[in-house]
Amino acid sequence: MTNDELVEVFERDPELYQWTRRTFLKRTGALVVTASLAEMWAVACGGSTGGTNTATTGKAPVPRKGARIVYTQWNSFVPAGDAEVRRQAQEFGDKFGVEVVVQTITQDDLIAKTAAYVQAGDGPDVISMQYSWPHLYTSACLDVTNEVNILKQRLGAIHPVNDAYTKVNGVYRAVPYTIVMNAWSYRTDYFEKAGVSGFPKTFEDMLTAAGKLAKATGKPIAQTVGHAYGDSLTMWLPVLWAHGGKETDAGGKVTINSPETLKAIDWALRAKAAGEVFHPEWLDPDNNQAYHSDNISATLNGPSIYIKERDTNKKFDKVTDNAVMPGGPKGVFTMNLIFNQAVMKWTKEPETAKAFVLYQMDKDNYLKWMAAAGGYDIGPFAAINNAPVFQSDAKLKAFHDVAYDASNKPIGYWPGWPAPPSKKTSQAQAEYITADMFAKALAGTSPQTAVKEAEDRLRNIWEKP
Amino acid sequence: MSIITRARARSVGLPHKRPNPFDNEAFLGYLLLVPTVLVLSIFLAFPFIYGVVLSTTSTEVGDEVLGRFVALANYLFEMARDGVFRTAFVNTFSYTFYTTIVKFVLGLSMALLLNQVFPAQRFVRAALLLPWIIPSVLSTLAWRWMFDPTFSVINWVMNSGLHLPICHGSTTCVNWLGTPGTAMLAMMIVNIWRGTPFYGIAFLAGLQTIPTDLYEAARVDGATRWRQFLHITLPMLRPVLLVVILLSTILTFADFQLPWVLTRGAPYNSTQLLATWAYTIAIPGNQLSIGAAVSLFLFPVLTVVIGVVLLLLRRPE
Repeated sequence: MTNDELVEVFERDPELYQWTRRTFLKRTGALVVTASLAEMWAVACGGSTGGTNTATTGKAPVPRKGARIVYTQWNSFVPAGDAEVRRQAQEFGDKFGVEVVVQTITQDDLIAKTAAYVQAGDGPDVISMQYSWPHLYTSACLDVTNEVNILKQRLGAIHPVNDAYTKVNGVYRAVPYTIVMNAWSYRTDYFEKAGVSGFPKTFEDMLTAAGKLAKATGKPIAQTVGHAYGDSLTMWLPVLWAHGGKETDAGGKVTINSPETLKAIDWALRAKAAGEVFHPEWLDPDNNQAYHSDNISATLNGPSIYIKERDTNKKFDKVTDNAVMPGGPKGVFTMNLIFNQAVMKWTKEPETAKAFVLYQMDKDNYLKWMAAAGGYDIGPFAAINNAPVFQSDAKLKAFHDVAYDASNKPIGYWPGWPAPPSKKTSQAQAEYITADMFAKALAGTSPQTAVKEAEDRLRNIWEKP
Repeated sequence: MSIITRARARSVGLPHKRPNPFDNEAFLGYLLLVPTVLVLSIFLAFPFIYGVVLSTTSTEVGDEVLGRFVALANYLFEMARDGVFRTAFVNTFSYTFYTTIVKFVLGLSMALLLNQVFPAQRFVRAALLLPWIIPSVLSTLAWRWMFDPTFSVINWVMNSGLHLPICHGSTTCVNWLGTPGTAMLAMMIVNIWRGTPFYGIAFLAGLQTIPTDLYEAARVDGATRWRQFLHITLPMLRPVLLVVILLSTILTFADFQLPWVLTRGAPYNSTQLLATWAYTIAIPGNQLSIGAAVSLFLFPVLTVVIGVVLLLLRRPE
């Protein structure tokens, strides 16, 4: 987009983004530079930036006065964030004379409802989609390439994971929205009592720490190995990757039956023997409850454990700290919960719906939302990935660092990596194949049998005629 | 108006009245059936037929048209290659079989007890229906909490209250939802807890229709309580028993809410039932047609069960 085109966007509706002409040009200019640097950086590192300023943009969507739209998202683990979403929806409605109905439902129900909406061809105008849903429901999602390009111009490069999830066959089917980071929350007092200085940096060190903690405190490091849509996937896929195992290769050839996968399972078995506890029955809220009720010394989770201790419980807030995922022989691998906003094809108000999504992604609005959520989310664009909320609380740094490394380079992978997100990666994820493999081996099935079973299940998905 | 009446009217020269179609009993019968047939067609027949059609295609969620026709390939694929499906199939049978037997025994015992006269009889009868009345999701969540290895009140009672040796002094002695056997047992316990009141109240209603003079006659003839139960109560209850067992079997075979909320198939799919596996494949997994095929595996089984029960119901006394 040329500067003249940017000016045109601004002049058509300057109030929409509350920027003056001068700040608009200044910020976009700065973003162009930032984005270019980010792109060079990412390319140098072998990553994708999701493209930055080379894309052309059309007109920004303009809300229609009198329109009514429905926006559906999950119930966040931090209710204050949802309250800010509602406030902004009201603000947007008041400003443009439209009505925005915000509907929040539990995460478990969101996929069932979304599938029902898609099948019926009717429902909310905007749906907050998790993981690879834009690849599942492509034909039900409007092309939002123009809006994404506008955001790239304003906010810089997209996080590669959000980019991979939102772009289907070169067309953006959702607007990158947020990343819920997963890092370890742990009790510093128990670690000190056990003589463990700081959270382990490698999985091997974790074995020693787990043993000392279990022995000295009786409060183990604990994690789910069950059917939890967040915590189970964000734990066991990185464990697999860090040891060199992969479900498939980039082309979708099933490769899980490998010596590297057996090494990953071996680590899990040794961790269990050392005193780490893996719960096959835990769902996502269970490790939160175990931590808040002083039953465990560490667990992998979104920032909700820490935020609840810091803002509400104030019971273990002083003795809670957070740490990034340990590394394995192949390095450090992270996986986070991803959300993107899809404007649905059945909407009667596509312009208003798109404008609302852009309103949420306005930098000021986005930062307000991040502040309200207390650091629960991080932005998927370069300009909103290091928000003030991460500067004001040093303990949140670990959560920032699992989505963007210390030099602010985006990191992280998706279920099914290195194969690109697709219906098949999504199916393997929904069936918890990797987590089940670890769970079976931990329950006593021979590792070879557990791997073979996982291989068969993956073949059923990837090699199905 | 009958034909004879109309003939008389004509013969006495009364003005001719046009025949009223509602006078035709057969016509009226079919007409009155129309709303029911419509409702059943829309809400039962259409979804069922659509499900059958889906299961023979390669349709995914969001496809604007049905996928290509694959005949029975989805069924064959599930039977031949899907290990989780086979586990779910066996689990569904054992889950239904054991829970139905226990619910039957407990429900009948409950009904016999409730059929006695005792203080606060009505209150107790109403209170025993609570598990059936409470929404399944809420009660199952409460059970999930009770089975939680960390917070389990059941384990606490077993250890601190009953001092059972199995607990070895630990309140985390039984990981109810963490091992395949105990997780399946937990699912059955919750199902039995929820379903028994339905059996009990239905049987109680049946018991109250048995004439008391039958028991009086039996007592005069010197029949023991056990013989009265065998030769009066059970035969007289047979229609109610069969209908309740039929309904319960169908509902338990297709149970989704309870197993989904309680275990979600974990640990490692050992507690998957056909309903939960069908959902996992069809909705999060997006394979709508395979999910339809998995759920339709129940159909022939249920058809046989229903056929047997209906035959028993029609058996002459």
